[in-house]
Amino acid sequence: MEFLKWLVGSSGFMPHGYCYRWVPGLVWLHGISDSLIFLAYMSIPVTLMYIVRRRKNLAFNGTFVCFGVFIVACGLTHAMEVWNLWHAMYWLAGMIKAVTAAASVATAVLLVRLVPQAVGVPSAGELSGANARLIEQAAALSASEEKFRGLLEAAPDAMVIVDPGGFIELVNAQTERLFGYTRQELLGQSVDILVPKTLREGHGAHRHGFFAAPKVREMGKGLALYGLRKDGTEFPVEISLSPLETDTGTLALAAIRDGTQRRKAETRYRALLEAAPDAMVIVGSGGIIELVNAQTERLFGYAKQELLGQSVDILVPKSSREGHGAHRQGFFAAPKVREMGKGLALYGLRKDGSEFPVEISLSPLETDTGTLALAAIRDGTERRKAEAKYSALLEAAPDAMVVVNQAGEIILLNLQAEKRFGYYRDELLGQQVKNIIPVGFAERLIADGTRTAAEALIQQIGTGIELSARRKDGSEFPIEIMLSPLENAEGILVTAAIRDISVRKAAEEALRQSEERLRLVVSSVTDYAILMLDLDGCVVSWNEGAERIIGYRAEEIIGQHFSHFYLAEDIDKGKPVFELAEATSNGRSEDEGWRVRKDGSRFYANVVVTALYDETGRLRGFGKITRDITERRRSEEHLVKTAEDLKRSNDQLEQFAYVASHDLQEPLRMVASYTQLLARRYQGRLDSDADEFIAYAVDGCNRMQGLIRDLLAYSRSGSESKLLREISGETALDEALANLRVSIEESGATVTHDLLPDLTTDDTQLVQVLQNLIGNAIKYRGTAAPLVHVTATNNGGKEWIFAVRDNGLGIAPQYFERIFIIFQRLHGRQEFNGTGIGLAICKKIVERLGGRIWVESQLEKGSTFYFSLPESNGD
Amino acid sequence: MELHVTGMAAFEILLVEDSPGDVRLTREALKDAKMHINLHVVSDGIEAMALLNREGEYANVPRPDLILLDLNLPRKDGRQVLEEIKANPALMTIPIVILTTSASEEDVLRSYRLHANCYISKPVDLDGFLTVIKSIDNFWLSIVKLPHEPGL
Repeated sequence: MEFLKWLVGSSGFMPHGYCYRWVPGLVWLHGISDSLIFLAYMSIPVTLMYIVRRRKNLAFNGTFVCFGVFIVACGLTHAMEVWNLWHAMYWLAGMIKAVTAAASVATAVLLVRLVPQAVGVPSAGELSGANARLIEQAAALSASEEKFRGLLEAAPDAMVIVDPGGFIELVNAQTERLFGYTRQELLGQSVDILVPKTLREGHGAHRHGFFAAPKVREMGKGLALYGLRKDGTEFPVEISLSPLETDTGTLALAAIRDGTQRRKAETRYRALLEAAPDAMVIVGSGGIIELVNAQTERLFGYAKQELLGQSVDILVPKSSREGHGAHRQGFFAAPKVREMGKGLALYGLRKDGSEFPVEISLSPLETDTGTLALAAIRDGTERRKAEAKYSALLEAAPDAMVVVNQAGEIILLNLQAEKRFGYYRDELLGQQVKNIIPVGFAERLIADGTRTAAEALIQQIGTGIELSARRKDGSEFPIEIMLSPLENAEGILVTAAIRDISVRKAAEEALRQSEERLRLVVSSVTDYAILMLDLDGCVVSWNEGAERIIGYRAEEIIGQHFSHFYLAEDIDKGKPVFELAEATSNGRSEDEGWRVRKDGSRFYANVVVTALYDETGRLRGFGKITRDITERRRSEEHLVKTAEDLKRSNDQLEQFAYVASHDLQEPLRMVASYTQLLARRYQGRLDSDADEFIAYAVDGCNRMQGLIRDLLAYSRSGSESKLLREISGETALDEALANLRVSIEESGATVTHDLLPDLTTDDTQLVQVLQNLIGNAIKYRGTAAPLVHVTATNNGGKEWIFAVRDNGLGIAPQYFERIFIIFQRLHGRQEFNGTGIGLAICKKIVERLGGRIWVESQLEKGSTFYFSLPESNGD
Repeated sequence: MELHVTGMAAFEILLVEDSPGDVRLTREALKDAKMHINLHVVSDGIEAMALLNREGEYANVPRPDLILLDLNLPRKDGRQVLEEIKANPALMTIPIVILTTSASEEDVLRSYRLHANCYISKPVDLDGFLTVIKSIDNFWLSIVKLPHEPGL
């Protein structure tokens, strides 16, 4: 303490300020300068200290320390100067100076010692250059180190670097992960900690072997290696070794892979192989069998052991072995998946010596040890058989069969195809199908952008497509093709069945033409409405005649029900329905009746509805033919009306004639009767004139009565209803003759006849006719006794021609017609009695019965009166 | 009381005939008849029925034994008279001879259907007519037995 006090005491000295007389300028000049120097000096050691600390390996260490001390002390000295301006601590200042002196001397001495070294120190440029190079090298080294380290770290496998002593020098992260250790736990350890205890001995040997002859290899080839994790579990590993040259010697770099997956995959693969339905044989490039599956054993009859390691040739028939070898070499030269022996029939050889057809597919199998060939072998017997059967079928097919591939080439055809197209088989094989079917086939096979070939095909399957085909000679003929797909290993083929449809086409054409003709006929018929109805009675077809007669146009009426043509009351009565029903049950229905047109007007129609059947006999619809018979009906009605009028007028006439005659008779009778009475009562009592007068009167009356009677008879004859019966002409004749008995006897007439027929007519009237004619024949006789002959002949026209021949007076030709007129006589009353009514009555009767009457005669020779009557009444 | 044999009983014949000519002829024809005939004549159907029913002026006319009936009569037609007579139980038994100019089959049939006893078509000539009347007389008044109904 005393010392200290002394050090800092001013001890009566005067501060330096006094030396400067306390001139401010001067004081401050010294003060500030020394302060600045102090600061600068202090900063330098600070900087130096910093450098020393930063650069730990600094050479010239001592020198720097000394220098530092020197500067510090010097700085302090200046600081004391400043202090000493106001405080005279000269002892302290002096101490500090002394220190400074010591330090400076030391430094100077050291510095002198450094001179040779300092001279040898490279210049800044050299230094920086050397520095730069050093930096580069260092960088390169660290880069490759980095890369190496990076590779190692990044490797998917666990990488372990082991020295010849078996100690682990380096591991990567994967190693940590795989084995469950941290890096630190492994570095420096024996690599054996990663090896299962059981394998360690062997492992050691291997290691020695490796270091003796280091080269890249797969470790433990063929053996199942295992690794040991930290937790004691073992797992399969695959290890590749490579030597690593370092300056310190060769190291072993082991790449270790977890083999669990691969082992699993291998097992699965093996299982797959075993389970494969085909025989699987794996063959090396030398032709040695490396692997077979159970199916191989079964197929070839060998046990697995018998095959492994053998040449695959033992499975090949002797005759094929040479070629097989060449093929195998070709395969290994350019390994790719292929079907073996394409196009050839391959055979396999069983253990028992039997051969059988096989199909083989080859695929290359890459392994680390090289390429292997995996052959899948299938028993081709069945397929060979199926192929043979298929070929046989193809050949036997009645149609031409052609099999075409995706490229449009014909790859198979049958005999019929040869015949139909006029080619030999080999002329067509390989040809484009376009050459025989120019259009329509090849296009259908093509997969265009919108569909695949399979889809394109499926669209065509089964449909009968009509195309045109071309023969070898260039002629074309129509065909129908049916396509079906055929899949084989090479893709989809198309089998086409080709049928020549020329005949069918001709028939179709003929049918079409006949249909066309029919249609023409139907449509052009304008007088008949010809329509077709469906099962419900709706109009299906309509012709021109229908339009003309009924008024509807086709488009208006098709689909409508045909009851449109019927009157409302007929529809209510169910007439249309009835017609269809009748047509259905009887095949046909005919009707005449009123129908109505489109405009509502009526027409009278004859309608025939016919049931139409298809080829199976099933009812398909109805055909309807309608005829407008309005005109006909009108004329019919007119006729009927006219006939009715006629009849009425006839009736009236007859009635009139009858009534007239009848009513005339009455007064006539009075006159006649009383004149006769007069004549009787007063005959002889009056004069002769009176007698004469009375005679004339009576005579007149008689005549009148006769006329009226005949007129009555005439009017009555034929007006009665006819009784048409099958009657015997013979009987009629007999009756007539019986009525004429008296005149026959009186005249001595002989009446003969041929056999008279039976016919259908009114017997009374026939009697009347015969009676009149025979009566006339007798009456109008000549001098000889009358000979009358009655005949009847059939003229083949369903008529009987009766003839009454006499030998009487005959008739002059100009009277042939006149004699049939009522009351016409050719003779006077004096000559022959009669009113001239007989022939008129005959004519009336005969004509009413549907016949004719006429005469042939020769004057003085005789006459033959003919009349015809229909066999069965046609009136 | 004296029985006057004045000859046989007289036949009452009713002639229904509208033609006076025919009436006269009939009378002439019946002059030669064997029997005594009382001829009553009416000229239409109504009178005929009145007489038969003894109406009015005919109250005391005796019932005819035979009726000669013409078909075509004015007022009431002969056919109807026939029908009425034959429907009347009191009169139906009187034989009716249709004596007419009509020869139509229809009239013939109809008359028989209406139960006429016979049908004669008047002949157009005198002799014929006389013969027919005489035949009627012969047949109906001599040969045939006529019914007599008591009380009528």
